[in-house]
Amino acid sequence: MSVFADLFWYFKSEKKRYIGGIVLLALVSLCLLLPPNIVGRAIDQMKAGTLTKSDLLLYVLLLAIVAVTVYVLRFFWRVLIYGASISLALLLRNRLFTHYTKMSASFYHKRRVGDLMAHATNDLQAIQQTAGDGVLTLVDSIMMGSFTMIAMTTTISWKLTLVSLLPLPFMAWSTSRYGNLLHKRFASAQAAFSSMNDKVQESIAGVRVIKAFGEEKHDRDAFQALSKQVVKQNIEVAKVDALFDPTISLIIGLSYLLSVSYGSYLVIGEQLSIGQLIAFTTYLGLLIWPMLAFGWLFNIVERGKASYERVTALLKEEACIQEEAHACEKVPLGEISLALSTFTYDGANSPALRDVYLTIEQGMTIGIVGPTGSGKSTLCKLLLREMDCEEGSIVIDDVSIRNYRVDTLRQAIGYVPQDHFLFSLSIFENIAFGKPDASFKEVKRAAQAAAIYEEICQLSDGFQTLVGERGVTLSGGQKQRLSIARALLLQSTILLLDDALSAVDAKTEEAILSVLKKERQQQTTLITAHRLSSVAHADCIIVLDEGRMVQKGTHEELIASQGWYQETYRRQALEQLLEKGGSS
Amino acid sequence: MSQRKERKQQWMTLKRLLAYLKGERKRLSFAVLCLILASGAELTGPILIKHVLDEYVTKQRFPTNTLMMLGMAYVSLLIVAAIFHYVQLVLFQTTAMHVIQTMRNDLFAKVQKLSLRFYDLTPVGSLVSRITNDTEAIKDLYMTVLSTFVQNIVFLTGIFIAMFSLNVTLGLFCLSLLPLIGLIMMNYRKYSSQSFLHMREKLSALNAKLHESIQGMMIVQAFRQQKRVRQEFQTINEAHHAAWMKNMKWNGLLLRPAVDLVYVFSIMLILSYFGTQSFTNTVEVGVIYAFVAYIDRFFEPVNMMMSRLATVQQAIVAGERVFALSDEKEEEVENRTTHPSPVIASGEIQFDNVSFSYDGERDVLKNISFTAKAGQMVALVGHTGSGKSSISNVLMRFYPYHSGEVRLDGELLEQFSEQELRSNIGLVLQDSFLFSGDVAHNVRFFSNASMARVEEVCQFVQVSRFIEKLPEGYHHPVAERGSRFSSGERQLLSFARTMIREPRILILDEATATIDTQTEEALQRALQVMRQGRTTLAIAHRLSTIQAADLILVLHQGVIIERGTHEELLALGGQYYRMFSLQQGIMEKIQLNSD
Repeated sequence: MSVFADLFWYFKSEKKRYIGGIVLLALVSLCLLLPPNIVGRAIDQMKAGTLTKSDLLLYVLLLAIVAVTVYVLRFFWRVLIYGASISLALLLRNRLFTHYTKMSASFYHKRRVGDLMAHATNDLQAIQQTAGDGVLTLVDSIMMGSFTMIAMTTTISWKLTLVSLLPLPFMAWSTSRYGNLLHKRFASAQAAFSSMNDKVQESIAGVRVIKAFGEEKHDRDAFQALSKQVVKQNIEVAKVDALFDPTISLIIGLSYLLSVSYGSYLVIGEQLSIGQLIAFTTYLGLLIWPMLAFGWLFNIVERGKASYERVTALLKEEACIQEEAHACEKVPLGEISLALSTFTYDGANSPALRDVYLTIEQGMTIGIVGPTGSGKSTLCKLLLREMDCEEGSIVIDDVSIRNYRVDTLRQAIGYVPQDHFLFSLSIFENIAFGKPDASFKEVKRAAQAAAIYEEICQLSDGFQTLVGERGVTLSGGQKQRLSIARALLLQSTILLLDDALSAVDAKTEEAILSVLKKERQQQTTLITAHRLSSVAHADCIIVLDEGRMVQKGTHEELIASQGWYQETYRRQALEQLLEKGGSS
Repeated sequence: MSQRKERKQQWMTLKRLLAYLKGERKRLSFAVLCLILASGAELTGPILIKHVLDEYVTKQRFPTNTLMMLGMAYVSLLIVAAIFHYVQLVLFQTTAMHVIQTMRNDLFAKVQKLSLRFYDLTPVGSLVSRITNDTEAIKDLYMTVLSTFVQNIVFLTGIFIAMFSLNVTLGLFCLSLLPLIGLIMMNYRKYSSQSFLHMREKLSALNAKLHESIQGMMIVQAFRQQKRVRQEFQTINEAHHAAWMKNMKWNGLLLRPAVDLVYVFSIMLILSYFGTQSFTNTVEVGVIYAFVAYIDRFFEPVNMMMSRLATVQQAIVAGERVFALSDEKEEEVENRTTHPSPVIASGEIQFDNVSFSYDGERDVLKNISFTAKAGQMVALVGHTGSGKSSISNVLMRFYPYHSGEVRLDGELLEQFSEQELRSNIGLVLQDSFLFSGDVAHNVRFFSNASMARVEEVCQFVQVSRFIEKLPEGYHHPVAERGSRFSSGERQLLSFARTMIREPRILILDEATATIDTQTEEALQRALQVMRQGRTTLAIAHRLSTIQAADLILVLHQGVIIERGTHEELLALGGQYYRMFSLQQGIMEKIQLNSD
């Protein structure tokens, strides 16, 4: 129940809605006590033959008033209490999303997308339920339960109340037991479902292998075994789930039996009228809901508490990248000097970069090459301040990048990441992502520079074509070029291409590089690549190997000297020409 | 018009979904029988109490034995009702689960049969969610329809039977409540269900936005668009909030409060009826009790059915998607297997004037002819899109070619059985996909090779040293598709997976990605031993592979432009020669990027 205390700040800020809702709930509970009483009186009068037409009219009229009042009140408490809880979901979801946008790369490395999604969906739902259904069940079951019991003891008979309520604690006990059992079995059913899901994912992603080996049958068998397991686990759930209804009806039935037999005894002893007995059984019906609700409440509250704790922990996390108090807001021009002694990722054994010292003058083009895992992308990420290097510094225009506002720093950098992520927006909006108010001319120019313009024009909706699952499926090369266009549009002082030409063919690569050469004479460009042709034109090329700078020089210098560069150049030369179809 | 059409479509889908129940007829009939017995037992209770009230309590008679008997009868009715109720609940749920299992298995088998062309065009995620999530939504339909609708309708029918047996006139009056409830239900479907679906739409838009934003957060930050994305998210969040509020209000107007309103009306009806009766006759109090008790029980089922209407709608939408997939016509190439299937003995490959196209319009292979004699290696070289992979796709019979002939050991490719083909042609893909399970499982891959054989093969492709270094050796689990292994290690494992089947023919799709020299050498050594005594078709990127080939085919735009051995091609002085000379540094002055 402590989750209600955790959420108190919200109840306080929404006190009008909550207090109003609770008052209405109390009124509803009181109104509901009337009909059994009226029915009881009417029956007694009927039996005695004393019921007059005006009495009957009065009773029916009273019932009608109660019915309409309850209807209206019920509508409004829902609007108040549920409304407040729905607004809480809105509030928390915005807060969480804003928080996500502020978190740096390391936050996303540590967590899976699915988990971050779950916090914003399932966890928020559980919290919303606590603030809505949780409050309702707590308040309503206490009020409805106590009001009804008061009515039963005061207007009818305390002895009868006591006797008839005897079986009810057993209901609360058994339902909470079933609840625990259900919870456990449900978890195994979920686990079975998710391993089936993983299997399907794997089979579909690996369909080429399965087909090549002709192992469809075995794969199908493996799937069927898992799908059978899902059924088995779910039936286990059903076996517990199905206990609830029969148990409840059994206990309520016993309660009715006790009240009718003991009540009849009291009627015969003239301690009770028959109308009162019937009213009593109706009251008993009113008690079922509070009993059930109480068991339910524990579930809601328990889930809500766990979820609220997870979400608060997440919100408390601070971004790793912090800005200085009076950070520089002048956009740098692009003279970069790197002095990185070591940089190691959290949890990694060996450093990703060590002893990288390099000065890049404004307007230079730098090529960065080396085998996979040699630290090329790490260098780009450090420059973007996705993370900070503790032992070393990066200085741009004589100011350390830590002294720039992050926003200012990134304003200077146009970035083409390795994984060409596009948004499910139109092609136009994707290219103009960094500058939403870009004109068509600007977008067109960027597309042309990235050698994708003609292909866009061939699409049925041109620049308005949607990208992603609902739109066209683009090839890797097309996505890569769109992501280049997106960066080129910004005409930033520093351009970072992180292995951004890997999926385009040699001719296109040449076209893009020649545009860059022509247009970025005054601006700094960094290109990391696997393919040496991407960097051959650079003013300076550095070769990284296991985080160290092992070679440095121009293309001509490097192919003339023994080492990784020359070796790789030889191997790639043929492959490269083959790609061009031998037309040198 | 279109709305009517849509409704008709939905109705068809619902019918098709319910048709799946046919296979479960036996279990279902038994469940319905239990349901009827349970309802009967439960509804007899109030009649017993009515009897006690009218015969004994009002008449002030108190025969202990009879009353004890009646009490016992009541308790036994309760117990019988509880037992049958439990049994029918479990049976209905089991039925639903079995139906879904059948549906899932059918769907999985269907998806397996689809051609690779279909896979090329469909994202993995959407196929997965058809098989798992959509069928899960349909499961809710069976659970709901069976558990809620069938049960409650039987129960309501029972209530009416009991009411009519007590008092026909009042029973008729109560029957008049049905149109009123029908009216509420209609309005509920019209407004609440609609607003619920609307809310779900907004929710999925919200989730899609959230998912995409999280995935692309680094881009958002690099392009400094946090503020804009935040605003966009807020707009969607508020739209969802508004839809949710609206749905909550409709529910407040039409769901429980409305049904409870009708409940009080029906109490008024009963009271007025007996009240008016009491002016002229004496009334039986027990009958009033029974009616009130039945009316009490009447409305919960109605509430339950109403709250499930939206689920039905959702299940139908999911059903439409599932059926679209199971009606997909893009099935795999039909083979014209002859019986018995020819046997691949020596492994000679022959392409004779083969043309092939993926889309039926543009040929990606044009009149390809070549022969790879048993034990030879043929290297395919050429740029991306020149048709290298298409040759291997045709040979694997993944796609049908439209003219020419492909022969293996002189027999037409189409005549081989799937089994013969798959067990004798080993494909090593560029992207070496590993499966969950341990290392041994990945090598064995459903073949029934012994552990000794697995080790032998791993030694053969020289991956055993790496495996033995793993903490659990051959039983080391492969997590996340083997992403903890290097690409070279993955490649070697996939070599072993292929070699354990001892294929006669090897198709090798060499990786283009640059890997370090050491791994490269290991791969080359492994390939060398693998090629021994096998016909090999290599989509080659590595010079060493190409040089070792018995026949090199240089492809350009789907046509073979040069062919011969390394030496022959050099002597020819054509494209290959130019490439090779350049490689050797003879023409070092020619810059790769010279304009």
